[in-house]
Formats: sequence, structure tokens, C-alpha cells
Amino acid sequence: MSRWIGPIVVAVIAALAAWYATLAATPTVIMDRAWERLAEQAGYNRMAHTPLVTADHQTIVRPSPDLAYSICAFDLSQSPLEVMANPVPDHYWSLTVFDSVTDVAFVESDRDTKGAPIRVVLATADQQVPKGARKIVMPDARGVALIRVLLKSRGEIGAVDAYRKQSFCRPLKG
Amino acid sequence: MSPGLRYGLMLVAGLAIGTGTAVAQLRQSFAAMGIENGPWRTGEKVGTADASVATRATVALRGLLALPEREAIYFNAAVDSQGRKLIGKCAYRVSGGTIDARWWSLTLYDSKGYLIPNPASVHSVGSAAIAPDEAANWTVDVAAKRTGAHWIAMPDDQPFELTLRAYHPSRQLRAERGRAPLPRIERGECRA
Repeated sequence: MSRWIGPIVVAVIAALAAWYATLAATPTVIMDRAWERLAEQAGYNRMAHTPLVTADHQTIVRPSPDLAYSICAFDLSQSPLEVMANPVPDHYWSLTVFDSVTDVAFVESDRDTKGAPIRVVLATADQQVPKGARKIVMPDARGVALIRVLLKSRGEIGAVDAYRKQSFCRPLKG
Repeated sequence: MSPGLRYGLMLVAGLAIGTGTAVAQLRQSFAAMGIENGPWRTGEKVGTADASVATRATVALRGLLALPEREAIYFNAAVDSQGRKLIGKCAYRVSGGTIDARWWSLTLYDSKGYLIPNPASVHSVGSAAIAPDEAANWTVDVAAKRTGAHWIAMPDDQPFELTLRAYHPSRQLRAERGRAPLPRIERGECRA
């Protein structure tokens, strides 16, 4: 039996390592796949103002049918990215920026801005941004910027679109 | 058996057990997130590197691009208040009171986290639909056909999940998410 003590210890350590590695790798793998799918459907470094979610149109898992989503899959490898979220009066709206491992690098909502737009520049640590720009340092080049607008009813999407479709993301020109 | 073979076999067995345990954990809906409040499960520090590895994996798999808790808390249920799996062949009544947040919504998903097609296209009920005099004592029915003022359609027999979103939750709700009063989920009649 003593001949198995060492191998059993190895098995326990291997099991713990595999358990942790599997869970730790899951966000990266899933985000990578989601980024590719979003970029394929709507391109990247541009804001896609997606139609209201229906059972037949669900890009991301667990979408809310009560929200209008605008989404920008981005890649900063060529240049920083400017993101502007336009206010939608009298509505909850927010801008969230996710990095490539699903962590939130930035979030603000109408409560924070008190009706003003959000303007940020996403850049990696080594990238320069124009003086005065609000730089959000991203840990790596890829990520997703997501604008949510809460609808009081799905019928008001036309009125909300007039505001949210002014939001954009675009590479900064050099 | 040679020592090398013993070590090799146990290494492979350990890797398989560890990976299998992680996969099984993620398949248990939101249980891996750690915080339990009646039938509801939620986690802490969502959207940050400080969240537990299980919470981060669960959110990526079942709620990718979720908001951090200063903006929203997500409570998810795959069972009723008596711990029985939510299934479409039964009708349910969700009843609750004031939720300490700016706005809340209750949405029904299949067990993979997607909206289920239904003829009425009714997938959710939000606090905006609840009249002020109902706010402290509201009910939402989950059934194949409308049975009350507030209704979410469940068109077939498959298992399903409910997600309660609380946007701009109060500081108290954030601090007490594991014991704050949350809606009850009561099972009604089931089809044979």
C-alpha cells in the first residue's frame, strides 16, 4: 500500500490543479468565442445597435428582453478606441467595458453622469491618447463595450433609437 | 506495476477527476456562485477579478457580460421554494414585495439561459408593470396560458430558470443579498 501513497498525492494535486484550471480558463474561452461571433455578425471597432431581443434573435446568453443593447467588439491592436454613449432622457442607460477575460474595466450609468454623455478612450497601457481624453487602460487589446437602455415598453424602441443610435465607438485617428 | 506506471495512472486519473468535477459544478446551474437565498442563487464581486473562480466561470457560461453589483444584482432560480426543479409542465406563482432597487425584472429562460419561443412573446415582467398599490404584495404567474394580471409564458414541458434582476440595488440589498426578502416561487398544478 505504501507504494501508492506518492501516486495518490500526485492524483490529489492533479485533481485540484485541473479543477482550478478548468474554472479559471472558462471566462477566457467563452469571451473569445463570443468576441469572434460578435465581430463576425457586426464587425469590430464599430457600435452595432442591435434589434430588440426575441426568442429567435439572441446573440448572447441570458439576454434581457427589457433592454435595448448596443454593442462594440473592439480590438485595440492598431489604435485606441473612442467610445461615446449618448444619454437617453428619463431612462436607465449604462456603458460597460469588459476586457478579454470578462472583467469590467469601466462602468457608468445615467445615475453617474446626471444626463451627460459618456466619452472615454480605451487604450492599452503603452498607447498614447489625446490630451484631456478620459483614458481607460485595458489589460489587453480585445474586449467588448456594451450600452444598455431600459425600455418602459418594447413599443418605445423607435423613440429610444433616436438617442441610442447616436452612440458610437471608433478608432482614434493617428 | 512499475512506479512510473502507477504515477502516470494516478496523474491521469487526478486530471480527469478535477476536470470532471469542474464541469459538473458548472452544470449545476448557479449553485457554484455560492450565495443561497431561498430558491435564489447569486454571487459576489461579479465582473471583477476578485470574484471566486467558480463565480467567474458560472457568470461567463450563464450570464456573459453581466453588470457588476453596483449596477445590478442577478438572482437565479432553477428550483421552487420547496427545492423542486422548475419544469414547464407545472404552473407556478411567484409572489413578492418591494425589492430594494431602482428597478427589477423577472425573466424566464431555458436551462441553457435562452428565451423560450412562445406565441405571445411574453418572457418577462418588470417592476414598471406593477402598480404602486401592488408593489408591496405582487404576484406573477408562470404558466402556459395567462391566468392573472402579470404573467410569463412557459409554452412547453422543459425545465426552466428564472432570473430576477435588481438594477441599482440599495446598499442594504447588496450587503444582505443572502438574507434579504426575495420572491417565493410556489408550484401549482402539474400536467400529467
